[in-house]
Amino acid sequence: MRDPAVRLSTLRRDGSKHVLILFFVLIALLPIYMMIEVSMKDTATFYRNPWLPTSPTEWHWENWTYAFHLIVPYIANTVFVAVTGTFCSLFLAILGAYFFSRHRMPFSGILWAGFLALMLMPSVVNITPLFMVLKSLKMLNTLWALILLGVAGGQVFNIFVLRNFIDDLPRDLFEAAEIDGASHLQQVLTIVIPMSGPIIGTLAILSFLGIWNDFLMPFIVLRDPGLFTVGVGLIYLDGEYVKQWGEIMAAYFVASIPLIVLFLFTMRLFVRGLSAGALKG
Amino acid sequence: MAAPLSRQKLLREWKLYFFIVPSLAVIMGFVYYPAASAIYHSFFQWAGGETRHWVGLDNFRRAFQDKVLLRSFGTVSILVVFNLFQMIPSILLAVLIHRLRSERWQYLYRVMLVVPMIVPTLVTLFIWKFFLDPNIGLLNSLLDFTGAKDALVSLDHFFGWGVFFAGSPIGWLSQPKLILPSLFIWGFPWIGAISVLMFLAGLQSIGLDIYEAAELDGVGPFRKFFYIELPLILTQIRLNLVLLIIGTVGGYGLQLEMLDLFGGPDGRGMVPGLWMYNRAFFNGEFGYACAIGMILFAFILLLTFVNNRYVRIEK
Repeated sequence: MRDPAVRLSTLRRDGSKHVLILFFVLIALLPIYMMIEVSMKDTATFYRNPWLPTSPTEWHWENWTYAFHLIVPYIANTVFVAVTGTFCSLFLAILGAYFFSRHRMPFSGILWAGFLALMLMPSVVNITPLFMVLKSLKMLNTLWALILLGVAGGQVFNIFVLRNFIDDLPRDLFEAAEIDGASHLQQVLTIVIPMSGPIIGTLAILSFLGIWNDFLMPFIVLRDPGLFTVGVGLIYLDGEYVKQWGEIMAAYFVASIPLIVLFLFTMRLFVRGLSAGALKG
Repeated sequence: MAAPLSRQKLLREWKLYFFIVPSLAVIMGFVYYPAASAIYHSFFQWAGGETRHWVGLDNFRRAFQDKVLLRSFGTVSILVVFNLFQMIPSILLAVLIHRLRSERWQYLYRVMLVVPMIVPTLVTLFIWKFFLDPNIGLLNSLLDFTGAKDALVSLDHFFGWGVFFAGSPIGWLSQPKLILPSLFIWGFPWIGAISVLMFLAGLQSIGLDIYEAAELDGVGPFRKFFYIELPLILTQIRLNLVLLIIGTVGGYGLQLEMLDLFGGPDGRGMVPGLWMYNRAFFNGEFGYACAIGMILFAFILLLTFVNNRYVRIEK
């Protein structure tokens, strides 16, 4: 494949496929293009020319300063919720999956069925009573409520995937560790976590995305503007009567920055992990 | 799978239960308890406070006569049918990428697919709302530019839909008759990066040699798809379908943000989840909202059952 002539000829034979793929991929990328391009315009320029980018000399950076001041506090809240939630969610899930995988304890069959049954339960059914539970725990209008909900929501899926994975680890490793006097927690820390790095990484990204993208629960739970997550902040921004599209698009872009950073560092892991069939289902 | 433990070993291993306790506590507190509470409160008239009145099955009786709710189940069924079509581009894309001969390009396209995931879901939603805007939206400009709008207007004259008019911009989100089509076009081309990557994982077992053998036998691209590729990803397709359907039937974020609390003009975009949310948080009828939740849950169980029963896939 190194030979340029060969490469060119395969490119030509696959030409029609490339055209089709690019058609889909470019439309999927269109929102990002719009976001960046409009964020550099003031309202007058935008109405005159909504679609094409303007030259760099006319870029309106003040949209960006406005967006930064508006969104950064929201981002801080969301990062706190998403990072803490992902970390707790995965740590609990690893322990849970280890419990199911390591020995067949009494009641573990029933517990497993109890976990699986939740896969069928749509979370929307729970929203109303959940609101009341949080109210009685005095957790409305706190970020901890969102963290707990994120942990609870991700448990079943994470335990399910991790258990399948731990089941496939060689049993000898655990037995050898046990003979050396390792406790269960030590076995988790020295065997399970190091050996399931890629899958934990993939699951971590998925739970982070799940918490990050949720805007319905935060919208119900949070009232204090100082606690708003990005989603709630954007909903209020969308509700404003006169829309300054440049500022709004800049705010959208700023809201995407944390995920850009996340994917910059984990893209390879994520693409490889999912392509290798990490989630067999 | 581990073997059952002997009694002796069990006495030594009981500490293992501590590993499941945290997960269990979280799930009990924030999933099972609310679910039980929903069942309990669906028999009450309850405004969310301390006082509640036992009303027996009244909430359910009311639900089955609630025109908005009944219509919303019709709407959500149509959205589920849309899901079937919206999965096609992801499948095609996965197959196309898999058929590329260059691994370098395969990887590059995978990365390009993941890039749109950096945009938060809500932002994608707002940007699409902006695309569908009647005056400054992309869709209307595109239709004007290509002249497709004139075609739509003449089709409208012919069929008498009464939605497209020559002089005025198309109100995708304000014309009651256009709400469902808008909910369909939303998110075009509906590529789910995670689904495509999962399909690609399923396709992996087909080596280049199989393609070469098929080509030697003169198998065309369509037959290759139906006989070689499709059977291998049926499991993934089915898993995706189940997830999509559960998401659609239970979802209401899209309708809430694209339209409003009442499902837009004439309530065309009203779905059961949104009506439940509306009754609970707009009207303070928590008991009735719980009853709607129960009916919704039964509906989803039924769909899952049908899916398991009739969309059977031989492994």
